[in-house]
Amino acid sequence: MTDHEVLVEAENLEKRFRRYHAVRGVSFRCYAGEVFGLLGPNGAGKTTTIRMLTTVLRPTAGVARIAGHDVVHEAGTVRRLIGVLPENAGIYGRLTARDVIRYAGRLYGVPPDLLRSRLASIAEALELTAHLDRLTDTFSKGMKQKVNIARALIHNPPVVFLDEPTSGLDVISARSVRDFIERFKQEGRCVIMSTHVMEEAERLCDRVAIVAGGRIRAEGRLTDLQARTGLGLEEIFVQLVEQTVA
Amino acid sequence: MIGGALSWLRARGRGGNAEAAQEVRRWILAVYAKETLEVIRDRRTLLVMIVLPALLMPMVILGISYLAQRQQQQIQTVVPRVAVVGQAPALIHLAYASKLIAPVRAKDPTAALRQRQVLAVVEIPKNFETIVARNGQAHVGILYDATDSESAAARGKVVDLLSRYSQEIVAARLAARHINPRDLLPVVLDQHNVATQRQQSGQLLASLLPFLLAMWAVVGGMSVAVDLAAGEKERGTLESLLITPPSREAIVLGKFLSVVTASMGGVIVVLLAMMVSLRWGYPYMLHTTQKVNISLPIGTAIVMLGVALLFSALVSAVQLAISIYARSPREAQQYITPLYFVTVLPGLAVQFVSDWARSPWAYLTPVLNAFFSFQELLLGTVNWGHLFLAAVSCAFYAALALEVAIALMSREGVIFRV
Ligand SMILES: Nc1ncnc2c1ncn2[C@@H]1O[C@H](COP(=O)(O)OP(=O)(O)OP(=O)(O)O)[C@@H](O)[C@H]1O
Ligand SMILES: [Mg+2]
Repeated sequence: MTDHEVLVEAENLEKRFRRYHAVRGVSFRCYAGEVFGLLGPNGAGKTTTIRMLTTVLRPTAGVARIAGHDVVHEAGTVRRLIGVLPENAGIYGRLTARDVIRYAGRLYGVPPDLLRSRLASIAEALELTAHLDRLTDTFSKGMKQKVNIARALIHNPPVVFLDEPTSGLDVISARSVRDFIERFKQEGRCVIMSTHVMEEAERLCDRVAIVAGGRIRAEGRLTDLQARTGLGLEEIFVQLVEQTVA
Repeated sequence: MIGGALSWLRARGRGGNAEAAQEVRRWILAVYAKETLEVIRDRRTLLVMIVLPALLMPMVILGISYLAQRQQQQIQTVVPRVAVVGQAPALIHLAYASKLIAPVRAKDPTAALRQRQVLAVVEIPKNFETIVARNGQAHVGILYDATDSESAAARGKVVDLLSRYSQEIVAARLAARHINPRDLLPVVLDQHNVATQRQQSGQLLASLLPFLLAMWAVVGGMSVAVDLAAGEKERGTLESLLITPPSREAIVLGKFLSVVTASMGGVIVVLLAMMVSLRWGYPYMLHTTQKVNISLPIGTAIVMLGVALLFSALVSAVQLAISIYARSPREAQQYITPLYFVTVLPGLAVQFVSDWARSPWAYLTPVLNAFFSFQELLLGTVNWGHLFLAAVSCAFYAALALEVAIALMSREGVIFRV
């Protein structure tokens, strides 16, 4: 692992909302060319952790760095290095898929020529090419999700955050999104994704962190976790979560 | 507009080097272009912003002045029914002859007046004609309803009738004494109205136009403002936007310019519709009186647009700040509706506090300053000092509201309100 570049680093991250202590000291590292999964029940603090790493929430305590840049003090630099698919991301319904992706490109300052060619290749990879000039209001949920993934990648970021990328998608759409995540890994990106779906984690993630009650309960390679406990991922998950509740 | 916003941005001490400023400009433009594209794609917004005022304005402007004229004409030409209580054959005769009023008898005159069966009641004292014949003085009463303009007009006609009757009696009495009535009237009044047509038409415009302009400055930008901040929250696109490199300032400024564009779109349509309907619609309505040329000179219209731009900048910035703060478009709409009344109602009040127009404070008060400036421009009594005060203070308040909007956009408690 150490031969790879550390791209994401969280050290004792904490987030306290006015009434709720959502994240209570989370630490982990992710490297180029791996998919890191955040697994946890509803309300575990996965989204809050991702939001802190993606500069939209300010950590109450702790430090986080993306490629060595602090998420609080160098937010501008960090934003250029990350591509994000937020939880339940919506879409501009009155724009076409092309408008939506191009808008993101402009916000990231992608030069027009590069933007055009990149848009074409991403659309090709996501099988969106035929639908680029349709209003996204007419799209299915899966198509909208693909457009949002495309807009998160338009600046070719080395780090990608995906918060429940397949939630609400049918089997076929979920599958094509997963295939795309595989490609990110092969391209040497660092992918951090959250999910509830165990099979998805088993198929995609090199390492996982099981989060419950705002803390990481277990972390490591899936194979190691399974060897250590002699259990499947789902059993490990259920046991850890039940311990937290108790 | 964009240039102004940028220089303002630079004045805040950001974007020190040219490259950074260039980048900020690109961000603002990107946000502005996308928001405006969404507005253009939204039929409903366009309908409210352009089609509605284009149809409604001529109807309102021409309709109101037509109705006012018609009422004026009716009051002048109609012979009001007036109940006469008591005996006065000579007076009644004069009433018929002069066609000033139509005298009628009523069992219960007061009730008849209340039910508008008659528009006034004349109370003749007992032995009226005897008193008059004996060179005495008789007291005649008039009952009328001051809250009813037709009744008030009928009263005027009764007064006319009585004074004519009185004059006839005076003439007869003087004749009996061999005196020429002219000897008792050394001064004769000839009255002329010196208000120019420009002032008269200005008066009409000044009472209506500021109100309509303010209304559409608010309405034109309202749905856009609600949609592009609270709407983004609701649809779940705001987080994706905030994750991108543009600063909160650039995002808010781009959105602000888009709201201002929509608001000014409404204002320009109202102004054009007004000018067109006055120029070509108004003369047709005056069949009876002489041809009146009521119009808005181009130069005045342009200065008015400048004032309207500053006013709309203020209104837009406030609407945007509210929309950023609100959890949902519905909530934003609920906050903006009272704002709408606060900004539009002074437009109606301004005519009744014209004495304030002399104080500099009136030109430093938000909203009021724009209305007083509009009024001066329309009445042709422009004071450039006033106009300058109004412009500077308008721009100041708009910048202040923008700062608030930016501050709100930078607060996570506002962005992720639960
Ligand atoms: N802006 C906020 N203000 C107050 N509390 C919040 C806020 N955002 C999240 N929380 C709370 O923090 C806790 C963690 O939420 P978070 O969204 O991070 O969980 P999650 O692991 O992503 O859950 P899910 O699987 O349901 O998406 C929840 O109890 C939530 O109610
Ligand atoms: Mg979540």
